[in-house]
Amino acid sequence: MIKIHHSGCILCAGCASVCPTGALELVGTRIKFYPEKCISCGACVRICPANVIELVKEKKEGEQ
Amino acid sequence: MNYDYDAIVIGGGPAGSTFSRVAAKNGMNVLIIDKRREIGVPVRCGEGLGARELVKEGLEIPRSAYSTEILGAKVVAPNGKEIIWKDEETKGYMLERKFFDKWLCELAVDGGAKVLTYTRAVDIIKDNGKVGGVRVVHGAEEPYEIRAPMVVSAEGMEAHIARKMGFDTVHKPYDVDTCYQYEMKPYEHENLIELYFGNDIAPRGYVWIFPKADKKANVGLGIGGNVLNGTKRGGMKGSDPKTLLDNFIENNSQLKDASRLEDFGGVISVGSPLNEFVKDNFMVIGTAAKQVDPIHGGGIALAMESGMMAGQVVADAYSKKDYSSKNLKPYENEWKEGPGKKVHKRLLLRKVVEKLNDDDLNYIFSQISDQDLNKVMKSNFAPAVAKVVAGRPQLVKVLSALIS
Repeated sequence: MIKIHHSGCILCAGCASVCPTGALELVGTRIKFYPEKCISCGACVRICPANVIELVKEKKEGEQ
Repeated sequence: MNYDYDAIVIGGGPAGSTFSRVAAKNGMNVLIIDKRREIGVPVRCGEGLGARELVKEGLEIPRSAYSTEILGAKVVAPNGKEIIWKDEETKGYMLERKFFDKWLCELAVDGGAKVLTYTRAVDIIKDNGKVGGVRVVHGAEEPYEIRAPMVVSAEGMEAHIARKMGFDTVHKPYDVDTCYQYEMKPYEHENLIELYFGNDIAPRGYVWIFPKADKKANVGLGIGGNVLNGTKRGGMKGSDPKTLLDNFIENNSQLKDASRLEDFGGVISVGSPLNEFVKDNFMVIGTAAKQVDPIHGGGIALAMESGMMAGQVVADAYSKKDYSSKNLKPYENEWKEGPGKKVHKRLLLRKVVEKLNDDDLNYIFSQISDQDLNKVMKSNFAPAVAKVVAGRPQLVKVLSALIS
């Protein structure tokens, strides 16, 4: 599962383009996360240029 | 079947707007939907565009859509050696993407297309297995259906709907560059695109300084998504372009005291285009089809070219009232025979360059001229390879991939 620190997000949606399951999507001016699709592969964490995504063990909603 | 439009285009970027302009001018009733609240925003791009790409389209770019003109390029080796080249090939525009994208979209509207912002496609509608439109959501409202016999994905990097249609639009970390960029001021430049290479500066990538008006510049850095140079939140290893960019700026006499006017970032496709672009009643164009230059990461010119080709082909299918893949295939064939060949060569070049260490790069820069570099960018590798291999035969193995 991932946690997105939205306040530092630069909205490039790079995470969405590497997510193999479509668990991330840019909607308007925010990255939307669909936790039920997340397989905790970490691809989004690895490539996020702004370093605002964190791999976490427990299930958490995206931080406000 | 009652349709609302002849075609629905998902995404109002350069590919979608160009497609829609062409299709609408050919009499089609076209709708563009874009999930963003404003066309062209947020910007996630270096904003460079070759002028000849626009000339080819017969378009005259309005003054508001670009910041300044590009007169040439300067490429800098790890040891600081510079090669400058200026000719028709290297002339272009530094765009203001916010205004450029909106201008292209307005041209589509002027041509008869309709646009809806803040409207995202959530699913494809199928009638007995056949594509018949899209289900969309405006803002946070209830979903509704828009029907059309033809749907075009111009979704850019994410391409969710194309993925739902079975296209392999997911990007592997190896096939992307992850980038960070600032707009900075003041930076004294000569209206050249400056590119800095080196495995210490930017492993499997480079730093760019793109000139903008009023002593501004887009200063950015991209590295391979597979480069694990940093520690990400939570302790995981990952690629960290921002720290490398900050290091570069700190060590640059002009930039270290300059102001940052904007932060942007992005992830660029630098791998192979999709194997196929069309299915019955559906096609993928531009960056959604991974039609991006693997060397410089530029997608705008290819997107516009793709939009032109696809718009014409779909207009032909419209006149036959048959959007089966057979009638859409000419777009795919034309792309693969034209820009696709160049992209393939660029991919080859990218895969060779990423194998070179700084010493090799320094040697190559010491041997080749601006004319050789110009030929390399036109996919004529032989003269440069011959010069380099003559003095450093051990590079034959790596460089021979370019001339086989």
